[in-house]
Amino acid sequence: MHIPDGYLSPATCVVLYGGAAPFWYVSLRKIRRQLHTRVIPLISVFSAFSFVIMMFNLPLPGGTTGHAVGMGVTTVVLGPWGSILAISVALTIQAFFFGDGGITALGANCFNMAIVGSLVTYLVYRWIAGRSPLTSRRRMFSAAIAGYVAINTAALFAAVEFGVQPLLFKDAMGAPLYAPYPLSVAIPAMMIGHLTFAGAAEAIITGGIVAYLQRSDASLLAPFSGLTVEGAATESRTSILGRLWAGLAALMLLTPLGVLAVGTAWGEWSVKDFADAAAREKIIAASQHRTLPAGVPEGLHRLSSAWTAPFPDYAPQFIRSEPVGYMLSAMFGVGIILAVLWLGRKFLLRGGNTP
Amino acid sequence: MSQHKFLSGTIGGFTHALQHALESEELARVDGWLQRLDPRVKLVGLLALVVATAASRKLSVVLLIFAVALVMAMASHVQWKTLFTRVWLPVLGFTGVIAVPAIFLTPGEVFWRSPFGVVHVTHAGLRAAAMLVSRVETAATMSTLLILCTPWTHVLKALRSLHVPVEIVAILMMTHRYVYLLIETANEMFVARQSRMVGRLDAATQRRVATRTGGVLLSKTVQLGEEVHLAMQARGFRGDVRLLDQFRMETRDYAALMLLLGITAAALYVGH
Amino acid sequence: MNPSGTAVFEITGLNYRYDKVPALNGLSLKIGRGERIALLGANGSGKSTLLRILDALAFGDKGEVKFFGSPLTPQSMEDESFAYDFRRKVGLVFQNPDVQLFNPTVFDEVAFGPLQMGWTHGKVNEAVTRALEGMEIAHLWDRAPHRLSGGEKKRVAIASVLVLDPEVVLLDEPTVTLDPKSQSQVIDLLVDWKSGAKTVITATHQLELVDAIADKCFVMQQGQIMATGTPAEILSDGDLLLRTNLVHSHRHTHDGVTHSHPHVHGPGGHSHTH
Repeated sequence: MHIPDGYLSPATCVVLYGGAAPFWYVSLRKIRRQLHTRVIPLISVFSAFSFVIMMFNLPLPGGTTGHAVGMGVTTVVLGPWGSILAISVALTIQAFFFGDGGITALGANCFNMAIVGSLVTYLVYRWIAGRSPLTSRRRMFSAAIAGYVAINTAALFAAVEFGVQPLLFKDAMGAPLYAPYPLSVAIPAMMIGHLTFAGAAEAIITGGIVAYLQRSDASLLAPFSGLTVEGAATESRTSILGRLWAGLAALMLLTPLGVLAVGTAWGEWSVKDFADAAAREKIIAASQHRTLPAGVPEGLHRLSSAWTAPFPDYAPQFIRSEPVGYMLSAMFGVGIILAVLWLGRKFLLRGGNTP
Repeated sequence: MSQHKFLSGTIGGFTHALQHALESEELARVDGWLQRLDPRVKLVGLLALVVATAASRKLSVVLLIFAVALVMAMASHVQWKTLFTRVWLPVLGFTGVIAVPAIFLTPGEVFWRSPFGVVHVTHAGLRAAAMLVSRVETAATMSTLLILCTPWTHVLKALRSLHVPVEIVAILMMTHRYVYLLIETANEMFVARQSRMVGRLDAATQRRVATRTGGVLLSKTVQLGEEVHLAMQARGFRGDVRLLDQFRMETRDYAALMLLLGITAAALYVGH
Repeated sequence: MNPSGTAVFEITGLNYRYDKVPALNGLSLKIGRGERIALLGANGSGKSTLLRILDALAFGDKGEVKFFGSPLTPQSMEDESFAYDFRRKVGLVFQNPDVQLFNPTVFDEVAFGPLQMGWTHGKVNEAVTRALEGMEIAHLWDRAPHRLSGGEKKRVAIASVLVLDPEVVLLDEPTVTLDPKSQSQVIDLLVDWKSGAKTVITATHQLELVDAIADKCFVMQQGQIMATGTPAEILSDGDLLLRTNLVHSHRHTHDGVTHSHPHVHGPGGHSHTH
């Protein structure tokens, strides 16, 4: 899931750096308050740990092997803010020194894996684990499910980032300039691999390490378990979680829309622009007065309708627009993830592991 | 395929990373054009070219930037073989596989139709695939040149000149330092485990070995963090980092910076 | 100046718990200026904890620690100028060099302390160069820690403390992880390095070091000082050494006669006298 340079347009990269920046800022502030002068050494060694965990070649069911990102276990031990920083730093070291993941795409990679990954892990873990004891099996499974859901959500974000590229960024003759596949291809292609192998790898490493810590060093699980004095002190803790959920939902809807918006603003053109006379003037001027095809290029039109095709013709026009296509695909992905979550929690609660 | 692929695979990965790092350290000492430049010039100049590569809307411009990278590699004594094994081949293996279906899937004017019309290649598909592969290759070559020709401590200190906060630079430095320690620690655990292995391990046992190693590593990480904090305090650390960076820009550096930024500007202008 | 001002450290009735387990139990001691002290004790006797308390990295639950007559407490270390002065005067070489060497290169490592002290870059460079030459590691200046041998790491760690020219140096098991050759090199450096006024406190369980590096010994067990004396006095008290687990009874056979006697492990194998 480490996106290299060249898959995403500079506009997308800028949006995602911009999207990541406030999270980095908030994380750094929160973590300074939590750790004081221990910030630098602790975040450093945890970043190094995530880096090394990403190199583990994990045996998966079915005889293959896979790599985890490590956002699951880092979040469970270090909390979401520490994990955002630690994973971001690990990704930066990978990009700059081991050529894994692009430098222009670093913002995107941090956004998907460090920020979305850590926040989703934390929410799911806390939600499913509830107030179960530190060493309960329910807590271990919560961590594993959290890791699974987190890496899949991160993959969905990456897939959407890929999938909007051909809608927005094409050369004068309609050939995609960056990742060439529309949402209808990018999302299934990414999700099949992650719902199976990568998701399994993340679940195994997260659940496995939590199980190990439960036996040998359970105190490491305490600070972000929701069981500590700090966690129990105020009822508002729940509302903080609620706000995080809401924030995440907003993020899922708004960020790629931001990508779309900035995409058009930056002189990349969508279907609607082709139809609009004023926009056409601008496009022609910007493309050094080369003539444009008279109508919307056939391919572009076909692509933009890929996700809205199932809607009957008499449905209102806006349903068949690209943003709606994006929303539908995102909702589809989110739906799968929520279903997995809901089933996982139900299964565990029925298992009689309640405290 | 070895039945203990997960162990040998992980150990192999560690060895590979350490070898690459060693190779870079050696190349960074060679007397070449890039090596002699101020690290800030390299960082700004080469990153600008990566951005130009990403921004270009024309294949020809991307290929020209690639040619610039080749010239720089030659002037800096970077063997093409090194670039081939470290960048070109792996990128082709990954991005190439992703790009190939686009030749057939991208809608557009048909360029070639297979017998019986099973598949057809479009102009747009060919251009999209060529664009993706050459763009990714060029950007990766450029950033690899930066890594190969600059000691990594200099890259990090140069980040200060891009206004990355000193706290973050310190974290990056310390992370880089402890990556090696933790790789060594994990490697020792895996090698010890490998040497004790008799007969087959079922997949569940393999997973237990991997997660147990991860767990031990995590415990050690936490302890390491606390002790390093004490060691920093013992030498007067009170939360504010101070770094030593005394790079001095010379005429040659200014000239190189102008050259690299000039190429970038031209590429951005022509490529748009 | 108050009378106790001459003592570098004065500890009275110190208790310290680590994870609810008592590590120091009513420990008292006094260390004078310029003394070379060996803290002897088996693993877990509390000597590493004591060093951390002497370096104001940990603070007791009960009792008092004074540095040149001023109490060492979390509150006193909050005071900027006191903390600055203390860190400038007292240096600790950690047992594990991987903990101590957290900087990207040898030069950065040795420069860390001086930079924290706010020295000018010129002064930092000068002091670092001197410290590197003193430890005979000037040629390693741009190496990364993971490219150093165990002995080299230890010398960098010592240089990184000596660079501030501290008045008090605390050494935690300075030779324990080293191979025999590096051990003797490091000991030579420690012995040769005689700058009159320095107070050197070394925690070790390697008795063969004691003669070379100390004029006075404290023997520790279960967080208390069991005995104080010159190296000659302590090393000749076989009973004490046996009781404090610094030597272990060793049973073997000479010419068909089996007997037991205390025995010491040292660099270059083990030796004992009959």
